[in-house]
Amino acid sequence: MIDASELKDSVENENDLVTKEIKTKSLKNIAPSFKNYREEYKYTPFIRRIEKKFSSFNPSSDIKNHEEYRELIPDSEKYYIVIVNGSFLKQISSLPVEIEINNYKGLTKENREIFNSTYSKTDDSNFDIFSTINSIQHQNCLTFRINKSTVLDGKISIYNIVDSKNPVYFRKCFHIGKNSKVSFSEKFIYTSHESYFSNSVTEIFMDENSNLNYFTDQNINKNYHYNSINVFQKKDSISNFHTYSFSGAIIRNNLNIKLTEKNCYANMYGFYAIKNSSHIDNHTSVDHIDESSISNEHYKGIVDKDSNGVFNGKIYVRQKAQKTNAFQANNNILLSDSAKVNTKPQLEIWADDVKCSHGCTVGQLDEDALFYLMSRGISRKDATSLLLSAFSTDITDKIEDEDIRENYELMILRELEELNHE
Amino acid sequence: MLEIKNLHASIDDTKILKGLNLSVSAGEVHAIMGPNGSGKSTLASVIAGREDYDVTDGEINFGGSELSDLGPDERAREGIFLAFQYPVEIPGVSTTNFMKTAVNQVREANGEKPLDAVQFLKLMKEKMKLVNIKQELLSRSINEGFSGGEKKRNEIFQMAMLEPKLAILDETDSGLDIDALKIVSNGVNALKSNENATVVVTHYQRLLDYIVPDFVHVLMDGKIVKSGDKNLALELEEKGYDWIKVKN
Ligand SMILES: Nc1ncnc2c1ncn2[C@@H]1O[C@H](COP(=O)(O)OP(=O)(O)OP(=O)(O)O)[C@@H](O)[C@H]1O
Ligand SMILES: [Mg+2]
Repeated sequence: MIDASELKDSVENENDLVTKEIKTKSLKNIAPSFKNYREEYKYTPFIRRIEKKFSSFNPSSDIKNHEEYRELIPDSEKYYIVIVNGSFLKQISSLPVEIEINNYKGLTKENREIFNSTYSKTDDSNFDIFSTINSIQHQNCLTFRINKSTVLDGKISIYNIVDSKNPVYFRKCFHIGKNSKVSFSEKFIYTSHESYFSNSVTEIFMDENSNLNYFTDQNINKNYHYNSINVFQKKDSISNFHTYSFSGAIIRNNLNIKLTEKNCYANMYGFYAIKNSSHIDNHTSVDHIDESSISNEHYKGIVDKDSNGVFNGKIYVRQKAQKTNAFQANNNILLSDSAKVNTKPQLEIWADDVKCSHGCTVGQLDEDALFYLMSRGISRKDATSLLLSAFSTDITDKIEDEDIRENYELMILRELEELNHE
Repeated sequence: MLEIKNLHASIDDTKILKGLNLSVSAGEVHAIMGPNGSGKSTLASVIAGREDYDVTDGEINFGGSELSDLGPDERAREGIFLAFQYPVEIPGVSTTNFMKTAVNQVREANGEKPLDAVQFLKLMKEKMKLVNIKQELLSRSINEGFSGGEKKRNEIFQMAMLEPKLAILDETDSGLDIDALKIVSNGVNALKSNENATVVVTHYQRLLDYIVPDFVHVLMDGKIVKSGDKNLALELEEKGYDWIKVKN
């Protein structure tokens, strides 16, 4: 699958000097990152499955009539960014004036400076083979600049549209200024029901006392998706990540957060309801580098027949990171004997004054609770729905914004309705 | 109304009910007493339709039809209600929300229009008063963090909401202080009519001072071994179950 000459060509053909430098460096990272594949993808046979579907990993740059894509955006959206097959379509996007969104290659030299310490510096492309390939194959990095003290109400939606039978690469870099507060909601929309593949790598730099809400939802039928989000937090910053996954032939999410200074706060929430022989893998890591930071992680999921869930949560607490608080939990409900979950916490702690807890559970629907509800006249189907949606509420309850929360609650209800087809 | 004949039930191959007969008519109150582990809760669960139990022989008729093919939800819609000995805690589902679903599904099954939000609230207020339960408790997750007495009160509240034909109260008096016992008993008595019947499972004669039974049955080792009127309960309290064993 990893055709070295194809990758070399991509590096050769790069015209932008800085980008070419990044690609050259990444080419050298192919071997080391491939070494980790066996361990990091133990339960997710990603390469084996996509090898059969794709002969080449070269990207596609075909784009159809823009109107066709505009139709995919609901009327209710106020601010949205449309990216098709990796290319930003500014013409059909609706951008708030407060933030600057541009292709990296189109930036002036001074503006590039802002992103140079982040772009391909904070991602996991020396560790995860898919990020490495993204670093080599992406066409243009989309940069988001939020100036200091910018506070935006509501959310900005990012529509990543995959409309190609060749692999598609999305690449983004965020710079969130001091004292700013913003919310993004990212979606991946495939124009086919099966066999498309997209690979997305995002790097987010959060300056002092900034606040970010970042939502991702994935419901991609029988398509493939790799998503790596890498976050670099400065002191007093707060991040809230919400990842909702419903279907996909294979979805692999990497969420890596580095708390590089004091008093950072990172919240990572996830909910998955996996159906139709889907395979959803969430790998997260949080790295406490400096003292007095808090990380709080809770992923919950419901897995239906013939589907697979994988959760791996790494917590690192470095020697300097005294007074760290790190919590992690992963709870699963299996709806059938043929549903599978592999869940694993991985803690490495070098500091001594640390509060750390973790717990994983895998269980069935509570039969006693089901009988209790049914004994009051509620049908099995509705009783199941009540219990399943109750299971999701402690995740959605964490969404601060009421509109966004309702939106995701409804989305989950609809998915549970489908899951619960008995 | 309820006709149980030669009922045999087991769980995981352990025989628990071993040829039980019981007949309850509309307007009656029956009390079932018996030592721990004799099968009282099992009987209640089997009537309510818990699927973990295998009914290996015998039959249960309710209102003229056989129950064996009906699930617990269908039995509830036919008018059977079980107040659990150990009510389950269900995080994330409020009693209010749950009762709204339940009441409307039962109404729908009986060809009645569902209640809208206002009508439901009115019904709830009325029934809350009956068992003296606070709104705050009902908007919390079902039974989660409730005291023992609050859980039992919640059971009777649900019974009041659903107005069943046959109510089975499994040790609803256990864990209640004397005031709560009065409140719960008043609730049960207020709902009593010529059309419905009540079966109370209890260890204590004192409950029967409040909910006066027409019949008292003694359940031992999976069978009803003795039946009588309310004086049987007094006699049992005085002499214990050994008295019956000896007599048999
Ligand atoms: N899952 C099970 N497997 C095996 N035996 C069981 C199971 N559930 C209940 N039993 C047994 O069935 C018998 C009857 O239990 P049941 O709960 O009906 O008794 P009870 O009369 O209600 O007792 P108590 O007065 O203590 O409430 C007991 O011996 C109990 O241990
Ligand atoms: Mg019992």
